[in-house]
Amino acid sequence: MAGLELLSDQGYRLDGRKASELRKVQARMGVFGQADGSAYMEQGNTKALAVVYGPHEVRGSRSKSLHDRAVINCQYSMATFSTAERKRRPHGDRKSSEMSLHLKQTFEAAVLTQLYPRSQIDIYVKILQSDGGNYSACVNAATLALVDAGIPMRDYVCACTAGFAEGTALADLCHAEETGGGTALSLALLPRSQSIALVQMDARLHQDHLDTLMEAAMEACKGLSKVLDSVVRQHLQEVSVLSRD
Amino acid sequence: MAKENCRPDGRELGEFRPTTLNIGSINTAEGSALVKIGNTTVICGIKAELALPSSDAPDKGYIVPNVDLPPLCSSRFRPGPPGEQAQTASQFIADVIDSSNIIKKEDLCIEKSKLCWVLYCDIMCLDYDGNLLDACIITLLAALKNAQLPKVTINKETDLAEVELQHKRHLQIRCHPVASSFAVFDDTVIIVDPTAEEESLCRALLTAVTDEDDQLCALHKPGGISLSAEKLQDCISRAVTRNREISKLIDKVIQSTEMSK
Repeated sequence: MAGLELLSDQGYRLDGRKASELRKVQARMGVFGQADGSAYMEQGNTKALAVVYGPHEVRGSRSKSLHDRAVINCQYSMATFSTAERKRRPHGDRKSSEMSLHLKQTFEAAVLTQLYPRSQIDIYVKILQSDGGNYSACVNAATLALVDAGIPMRDYVCACTAGFAEGTALADLCHAEETGGGTALSLALLPRSQSIALVQMDARLHQDHLDTLMEAAMEACKGLSKVLDSVVRQHLQEVSVLSRD
Repeated sequence: MAKENCRPDGRELGEFRPTTLNIGSINTAEGSALVKIGNTTVICGIKAELALPSSDAPDKGYIVPNVDLPPLCSSRFRPGPPGEQAQTASQFIADVIDSSNIIKKEDLCIEKSKLCWVLYCDIMCLDYDGNLLDACIITLLAALKNAQLPKVTINKETDLAEVELQHKRHLQIRCHPVASSFAVFDDTVIIVDPTAEEESLCRALLTAVTDEDDQLCALHKPGGISLSAEKLQDCISRAVTRNREISKLIDKVIQSTEMSK
């Protein structure tokens, strides 16, 4: 979309945010009764649902099970009504398979799979409304769902996108900014050890700008990790109050 | 359980689980609704597209329902193509839409033989705890009442459709069908609104769909143990009462959404 100003002269973006400002985050844990762990996450207008089943016995072929650790099975799908144009193939297409693989690899880095040999952990993520940052919303929701399921992890996994416009790095891109033709970098971080679980960028960027972009993404992820932490603590408080009564 | 007139979750035999409804939460869809009957959570999104009407019904649009039971709603569903429960539910919803005439297909026609609306009603179960069909019908009705379609006119010179996004109109709902499901254990014990556990133990399932004029729209009893005619009549009367409760709930929620706007 030529002529779309990602960053105005006063420093405001398309939706009125400042360059390093994140979208409003709302999250709830333990939303579903059937699943072992579940979480609902809203990042701006992007709504993601994550559900965790497990650890349980490996379904399907026994040969898939690993003798020394758990198998993580991820499935990413978008609801048909999540995008402006109706999505005809919500799962099974290349983009969904790629996202599922990325999620699986991200969580294999964070979950302590050695504690559950020969078992399987299923993570199902569904996007109910898409407005940019699908992968990030999924990772954040899945982290909360894993915490809700009581599966031990090394650290929270926080993900965020970052972009570049007119020499400034923008944090947490919305759909218009992602498709606007600028750079978009996705980062999944384990905040305490500052280790990167996944980083992906498919755009042209000068080498000198890479550091600024990574800095912005890491700052955004650290901000998100504080939010996720407060959500978990609040949920624990609510649950402990209920069980005390 | 049957002798004490009480069920595992403490309900009476004829009591429904608490039902909550939330409409219009998905902005990317033309209409949306989320319903929770106890733990069963079902969401419906309506997407509208323009299409050419078929040659044997040039003045009718299309309504395409689709029920999706993804593996996230329960561990009994595996990833892959839709299983038979999802397909039978989709067919049931399509039959109810046709028989009850919720929306007249002629209302969806913009210009005869040239342009019509296709309404894709995608119903997705997020948490499965029994009584899927009731929840699907309620959420479909609420989403259709919430849906707004833009005005479309055909330019006489270019013969192309012009969509005016600022002028949005609600759909005209002609009928308000509400379903009630029953689980049959034997001729004396019939419970209303079964949970997943009760569904797996029952001998037969019965779903009755009635509309606001106390007329029967659909009756669905796929096999199972036989049922006497009087018990069937009792079930239908219970379904009629349920229709009034749900209609009041939907109206209340729609009113409060209008007021908050």
